[in-house]
Amino acid sequence: MATSQPILKADDLSMRYEDGVLALDHLNLDVRPGEVYCLLGANGAGKTTTINLFLNFIPPTTGTCFINGIDVTKDPLEAKKYVAFVSENVMLYGNFTARQNLDFFAKLGGKTALAKNDYYQVMRRVSLQEKAFDQRVKNFSKGMRQKLGISIAIIKDAPAILLDEPTSGLDPKAATEFLEIMAELKNEGKAILMSTHDIFRAKEIGDRVGIMREGRLVMERTREELQHEDLNKIYIDYMKSAEQAT
Amino acid sequence: MWKTIVKKELLENILSYRFPLFGLIAMLLIPLGMYVNQLDYTKRVRDYEEQVRLAGEAASSLKIQDVMAGTVAIKGFRRPALLSVYTRGFESILPRYYEFTQEGSKPGESSSGEESILSVQGKFDFVFLVQMVLSLVGLLFASDVIAGEKEAGTLRAMLSNRLPRDAVLTGKVAGGFLALWAPFTAAFLVGLLLLILGAFPIFGGDTPARILVVFLAASVFLLAYFTLGTMISASSAKTRTALVAILLVWAFFQLMVPKLSDMLAAIIHPVRTETQISLEKSLLAGSLGMETARELGRQFDLIFGAAPKGAADDEKSPERIKWDALKAGIEEKAKERKAQQLGAIGETYRQQKRRQQDLAVNLSLVSPSAAFARFVADVCGTGELERTKYNEAVKAHERALDGALFSKVKRTLMIHPGGGTSLGFSAQPVDFKTLPQFTIAPASLADVFKANWKSLLSLAFWLIAPFAAAYVRFIKYDVR
Repeated sequence: MATSQPILKADDLSMRYEDGVLALDHLNLDVRPGEVYCLLGANGAGKTTTINLFLNFIPPTTGTCFINGIDVTKDPLEAKKYVAFVSENVMLYGNFTARQNLDFFAKLGGKTALAKNDYYQVMRRVSLQEKAFDQRVKNFSKGMRQKLGISIAIIKDAPAILLDEPTSGLDPKAATEFLEIMAELKNEGKAILMSTHDIFRAKEIGDRVGIMREGRLVMERTREELQHEDLNKIYIDYMKSAEQAT
Repeated sequence: MWKTIVKKELLENILSYRFPLFGLIAMLLIPLGMYVNQLDYTKRVRDYEEQVRLAGEAASSLKIQDVMAGTVAIKGFRRPALLSVYTRGFESILPRYYEFTQEGSKPGESSSGEESILSVQGKFDFVFLVQMVLSLVGLLFASDVIAGEKEAGTLRAMLSNRLPRDAVLTGKVAGGFLALWAPFTAAFLVGLLLLILGAFPIFGGDTPARILVVFLAASVFLLAYFTLGTMISASSAKTRTALVAILLVWAFFQLMVPKLSDMLAAIIHPVRTETQISLEKSLLAGSLGMETARELGRQFDLIFGAAPKGAADDEKSPERIKWDALKAGIEEKAKERKAQQLGAIGETYRQQKRRQQDLAVNLSLVSPSAAFARFVADVCGTGELERTKYNEAVKAHERALDGALFSKVKRTLMIHPGGGTSLGFSAQPVDFKTLPQFTIAPASLADVFKANWKSLLSLAFWLIAPFAAAYVRFIKYDVR
């Protein structure tokens, strides 16, 4: 397990929306280089809100997000240099080819001197079919879009990657391929924060797994701890206890 | 980073179906409009030259007796505006000529009488195309500039990078507008090339500068509509919502405001019709003429009643000398009185009409479309400024002809106290070959800018205000 300074850090993070809903309640977590942190939880548990706060899409009510030691609220543009984002439904420009999409987002990520071959290499690395490289993405399957989304994150070469339910809706083969790429990125030293519903894959890939409920991190286990525990049972138990509480 | 956004926006537009579609529409309609109007202009100039030639021939054969008989009408023709190929403006409404007689001037026919009912929907010219077609295209191009990215979720992907929002907005506006402006410019240049190939005289005087101003004004107008569309797009969550709002805004600015402003001004500030004024003037002139004739008859009878026979025809008789002096005084006084009273009616009407027109103009300037049309019509010599210059030229020519011709011939009508009437004539020699020529002083570009500061202000407002509103909306947009 990684021991260096965290790349992603949520410090006493709370978020209350205008309608009064408390989406995050004093969340503390950190993700270090070479670590995959999986956030599990039901819909509305606060997983996506956490990611939105790291991306400064919304300002926190209290607390602070740090990316590579930079306060996201104070210097969002500088902080975004160090993070790549892959959403559940990777949003791309349908009339652009895969390479054109990659080129555009690479430039936004600060990579301005890349050659055609560099893009092809990244797309090969995520196992996107060669024939798709110069095809318009509007007819791409979800799996292909997801691979291209990962290519965008890879080409940005940021030390942190935020993934918002990336395997949702993928077929088992595509999901497995996706996790293989995650493992590679982890081995390259990337700090990965992934929100997911997929308990099985969270256990497989996560160095740490946190369970969120009603905006709070109610449980956290390391990979080692989970060797001796049934994550599925723990998760179900937490959800049931939440239902009983309500 | 900004350039990346501009390039992406441009490329995205080029790859979409609407870019070639718009390019095709622009390439067909703009040059076609210029070609059709060039043919029409050539025909109108030919007619004008023929009419001037015929009028010149008629004037050279005039005799002083014709003037004494009151059958002479000198015509002053207006040359069709060269740049009416870009906008017809008042070209069809303005009289082709004015007729000048001893009683004053009256407008001749206009070319609008030859047009079909379809012309009420607007002439097919460059300004019409920009106003009605390209403005809508500009709005449609802008409809998804922000809303499309919101809806597709690509805005989230973009803003997860180190990208300031103002760079996103300005880059998207610049790239999107460039995709609209490039085919428009190409079509404009093709139209210009057609004019040059048709031996159209575009290189004389300040014509090239005026064409450049027309092009720049059209570009600014399209940009204003594009930023208006961007504002709507930035305020809408979905492209479909933006489209509906855009169509409503377009109809309001294009169809309602310009037409409503004239009607509202007429209701707020009603003015009598020109026919009513003309009738009033002619009644007053008749009444004053009769009054003078009665006074002259009374004085004539007083002087010559007891005078020896033939004294009225003897220029050296004391009665005739006295009569000539008295008659000149009465006629001069009557002329002054008539000029003063008729002038007062005319001036009051002009002031009231001007106030009503100013009100209509100010109301219409709420629409960028009206501001653009007014400005370009003045640049092309077919607008309000040309009408004013034409009227000024008519007044000046009236005075010039009065001094050189009509004042040289006097008709004296007398109504005697007994009821009898008599008519006398006197005339000084006139050289019909040196009569003043009718000319309209052209408005310079500086005059055009000066007269259109309100239109320019309106265009500037519609350029800046929607962009500022779009900026505020976009900066505050919750990207979740």
